[in-house]
Amino acid sequence: MAEVAAAKGSSVDASQRRPWPSEVNILAGLIAIALMFEVLGWLLIHQSFLINPARLQIMILQVAIVGIVAVGVTQVIITGGIDLSSGSVVSAAAIITMSFAQVSTYSRAVYPALTNLPIIVPIAVGLACGLLAGLINGLIIAYTKIPPFIATLGMMVSARGVSNWYTKGQPVSFPTDAYASIASGIRPVIIFIVIAIIFQIIMRYTLYGRRTYAIGSNADAARVSGINVERHLVLVYTLAGVLSAVAAIVVSSRNLTAQAGMGFGYELDAIAMTVIGGTSLYGGRGSIIGTVLGALIFGVIISGFTFLRIDAFYQEMIKGVIIIGAVVQDVYRQRRRGRI
Amino acid sequence: MKKLALAALMGTLLMGTAMTGSASAANIGVSMAQFNDNFLTVLRNGIIDYAKTMPDVTLQVEDGGNDVNKQLSEVQNFIASKVDAIIVNPVDTDATTAISKLAADANIPLVYVNRQPSNMDTLPANQAFVGSDEKDSGTLETKQICKLLKDGGKGSGANVYVMQGQLNNQAAVQRTQDIHDVIATSDCSFIKIIDQQTAGWQRDQAQSLMANWLTAGTPYDAVISNNDEMALGALQAMKAAGVDTKTVIIGGVDATQEALASMKAGDLKVTVFQDAAGQGKGALDTALALAKGTKVDKAVWVPFQLVTPENIDTYMSKN
Repeated sequence: MAEVAAAKGSSVDASQRRPWPSEVNILAGLIAIALMFEVLGWLLIHQSFLINPARLQIMILQVAIVGIVAVGVTQVIITGGIDLSSGSVVSAAAIITMSFAQVSTYSRAVYPALTNLPIIVPIAVGLACGLLAGLINGLIIAYTKIPPFIATLGMMVSARGVSNWYTKGQPVSFPTDAYASIASGIRPVIIFIVIAIIFQIIMRYTLYGRRTYAIGSNADAARVSGINVERHLVLVYTLAGVLSAVAAIVVSSRNLTAQAGMGFGYELDAIAMTVIGGTSLYGGRGSIIGTVLGALIFGVIISGFTFLRIDAFYQEMIKGVIIIGAVVQDVYRQRRRGRI
Repeated sequence: MKKLALAALMGTLLMGTAMTGSASAANIGVSMAQFNDNFLTVLRNGIIDYAKTMPDVTLQVEDGGNDVNKQLSEVQNFIASKVDAIIVNPVDTDATTAISKLAADANIPLVYVNRQPSNMDTLPANQAFVGSDEKDSGTLETKQICKLLKDGGKGSGANVYVMQGQLNNQAAVQRTQDIHDVIATSDCSFIKIIDQQTAGWQRDQAQSLMANWLTAGTPYDAVISNNDEMALGALQAMKAAGVDTKTVIIGGVDATQEALASMKAGDLKVTVFQDAAGQGKGALDTALALAKGTKVDKAVWVPFQLVTPENIDTYMSKN
């Protein structure tokens, strides 16, 4: 207890000092769940769950896009905040991005004069949208002091409004081949992994990372130790917005379309992945690796249910139970550390 | 007694004016759920274009702005200005009881269009619903897939996957029920559903779902989807997995622009067209008939239409 209490005020993540990082527990959970499906597979449908390269690929592929969002959400949650706007930002950014990526042969393009543009244009436009949304979130949270839940709830509603308004509810489709190739094949996985590695390094070894943990552990202590908390929060939320925009580009490229209903529920899935991955909703604790593992648990469960042909109704119920279980476990861990 | 007689007299007089009025000219109030919706815009234009062919008919079209309360005020305004009939495309099908009561109290004919009102069974005499029966959409789709499977020599046994829309959505529930109903008939009983899952109407979810199904390696002969978006997602997943999509039997519902393009390219085999303009035209016909005092059926069905590569050209510019 004494050691934990000492670590509390410091700007270094407490979990880094432990000989047994919590990621190991999550990895063990992932393996246990996968083995459970393996056993059930042999028992129920006489097939291997894991020895199937195509399935291993889809397990990661189907969570890669929300995983990109979750990398940003993890950082937000480590500061003690929350981001409910990511799903809506994905849809708004996707629709706006796609409107600059259409081919000239499609007669109903959003901007008939702006078709066949080089791929850098839609990407830049998309990232700018995400940056703007994240910046607004951050500025409102840091300087008006309203709870992140409310600020990002507002953005969630408004950004969905933007995506509905932008094309009056119509889908935007028929992108150029170059744009379509951004997320073809397993590229979403590569993009997800590269982003995860970059941010794992940033969170662990840079000043940015240490400040993020420090603010989440104790914002007042962080301020006293000279951190500009407001400016840092703006930066964290802006990055989360940019990562939502990356997800928007990937999802619209992979589906060859952008629609107002896209990204629905992404924010909750991303939060769930983060929490399952061991990031504390109380802030100050968690890691990108954990979130990647959380995403993989999600992927294994989705594939496992479909593999066992479990009815869709039960899938949702079980998914909810798993999320609650992860949060209960987090509360239990926090209680042991004496934080609540 | 005097009052009653007076009321009866007034009533006959009003009826009389309404009748003579509609013979020469009719004012119809139209309240749409919302203007900025692609499908509803086609429907709205269907009403407007049809009205243009009848010089005696004047339309007043209002935007409900997807707001139940706004729509109710619009109907009240129509009643206040004594239109001959009202057409309502309800914002919320559970909020129609209030609208029906207002129109019935004022004795003005009312026609609901496209979205079936929840008070369908208790609609007053001079009110009706014009729309398409979801029972047809899934049935047309599944029957055509059944036929394609038979033509392909699978008549002795075929495995299909079923992709459902959002589980709590009436159209998804009905279309899935249609699939089961068709398979229950002796004609198509050779079809066996391997698995049935939801992809929430969404293309990205359908891509993941199809990819997961493909990993099982179970041979399948067709995919029946509740809408085109999910069918397109399934096709993309198949392409990613190297499946020859030209030979896959896959069907959806909606006949969206992209679905038709996919069918042109030889991928999508079946879709179903909902006649928005036809519904608009039907609504105006019904409203005019009611204004004249003619009796109409409580539900006027505008049929869904099957779209296949053979007749696709008639539908290319309809939606």
